Amino acid sequence: MSKAKLFPVTVVGSWPRAPWLVQALRRRQNGEITQAEFNLIADDAVLAAIKYQEDAGVDILTDGEVRRDNFYSFVVEKLSGIRLMKLSELMDYVKDRAGFEEILRAADVPSFAIKSPIAVDKVTGRDGISLDEFDFLKAHTTRQTKIPIPGPYLLTRSAWFEGLSDKAYPTREDLAKDVVQILRNEVIELKKRGCDFIQFDEPSLTQVVYGDEAEQTFMCAALGTRRDPAEELEFAVRLMNETVEGIDGVRFGVHICRGNWSRKEDVLLKGNYGPLLPWLMRMNIHQLVLEMATPRAGEIEVFREYKNQKELGLGVANPRIDTIEDPKQIVQSVNKLLEFYDADKIFLNPDCGFGTFAERCVNTPEIAFKKLQSVSRAAEILRKEHN
Amino acid sequence: MAKVEKELNGLRPDKIKEILDSMRDNPEVLKAVTGPWKSRVVWQKGFKAKAYMRQHAVQMDEPEGLDAQDSAASAHEQLLSAMGSCLTVGFVLNATLRGVQVHDLEIALEGNFDNILKWAGHSKDGNPGYPTIKAKCFVRADASDAVLKEIWKAAVDGSPVVQTVARPTNIVTEFEAVGS
Repeated sequence: MSKAKLFPVTVVGSWPRAPWLVQALRRRQNGEITQAEFNLIADDAVLAAIKYQEDAGVDILTDGEVRRDNFYSFVVEKLSGIRLMKLSELMDYVKDRAGFEEILRAADVPSFAIKSPIAVDKVTGRDGISLDEFDFLKAHTTRQTKIPIPGPYLLTRSAWFEGLSDKAYPTREDLAKDVVQILRNEVIELKKRGCDFIQFDEPSLTQVVYGDEAEQTFMCAALGTRRDPAEELEFAVRLMNETVEGIDGVRFGVHICRGNWSRKEDVLLKGNYGPLLPWLMRMNIHQLVLEMATPRAGEIEVFREYKNQKELGLGVANPRIDTIEDPKQIVQSVNKLLEFYDADKIFLNPDCGFGTFAERCVNTPEIAFKKLQSVSRAAEILRKEHN
Repeated sequence: MAKVEKELNGLRPDKIKEILDSMRDNPEVLKAVTGPWKSRVVWQKGFKAKAYMRQHAVQMDEPEGLDAQDSAASAHEQLLSAMGSCLTVGFVLNATLRGVQVHDLEIALEGNFDNILKWAGHSKDGNPGYPTIKAKCFVRADASDAVLKEIWKAAVDGSPVVQTVARPTNIVTEFEAVGS
């Protein structure tokens, strides 16, 4: 796939929410205003997010995901048969409550703050998951566009919950079939409308290899039961490949990080991408959108044996800290990768979103803007060095 | 036309205020809420016990690690829960009286025993109980942080359970062996 210039700068997705937007989101969730009324309010937030990204020099923009509660639970507004439930509402269905308690304490979060879209009936699509977001974004920027959507594994794993989902879907695999079909329809429609880059968010894959060994967890949006890691990863590969099978002309990426719900580094997962790569390389997607700006993500060296097999969306800015990354340091990090990776295979992005969870954004718009500016400056330096 | 009573946090603020005022103004009401409050705990088998309080019953057991069946929470865990529940009631009471809508409220409590060897019979000294108990309140409510902190403080200061645990309490024990 060709691209206009080397080292395109992009974002992982979310932008920090203003308090007035969070209030409007709550009012919509409480049924006090309609979706249309909320969208009118959120339009201003999207326009601001677009302007920030454009002014910072971002080449491939998202709408900041500012209409969403978070990167995966927003689907409850877009699909039938699925209900947003707080972990506090699910506690009675959880088998290993003591295990959940340990994770809650380690993460230092209340159970009411963890929400998951749970399949409580047959899940069917209505007007798409992100099509309205895309149309608005496309209408307000001339730059390339990216739409992040929950990946098929994440959505299946988080939505199938024993005791609540099994009437409509006896097994998780039964739900996966509908999820794949819904996401396929979404991807085909996004491509038709001119979307340049579709990013599947699959952060729970990290939990599969680096989470605790509890059978059930909610780390990285991975609510639900997991099996053996190899079996889980095999399942994730299959679902991804079924979702994108036969669809070309649009860039597909998979975003994998280690959690973005807290600024406390010690409560987030850690470990390099090595154990995931044999499976990720078998996914029929173009790019891996990765966090690499934190030491928790391990060394870039793990990609050496897979060089140039996939584009790398290299995380070069940590969204959870206030320090603005120095462009020269970013250049140094990229140069390490360039020792064994081709320049036209490298995109630059922050490690994750700046506001993954509407009510727990990890940074301010001002700092997010400066970080993106810094990434863009690094890209300019790199282009001069490598063109 | 019947008067429609307003509700907040699942409570009727006017009714609550009326009850609280009657505690102050009516000695009979004050006497009734002062106590005595009672619990009767009946041993079942192993480490299992059941507590009966008015029309309610709560099961207690010990973890499997103590060769018990772990069919219910242990008594010291239920003490933490009692503190958390009391703080919850206090928080919601004070929030409601101030007209603050609470959306979510959760209290996480924890403690470590000082010297559990005393319970185990291996030590004669020390405190087998919790020397410190941590209680963290998570709340989502329509008020400023400053107001919510005031409400939390009022809940802590006014909690009968927390204040019982926090202060030296005179425990009067009696014993009677029945039959043989």
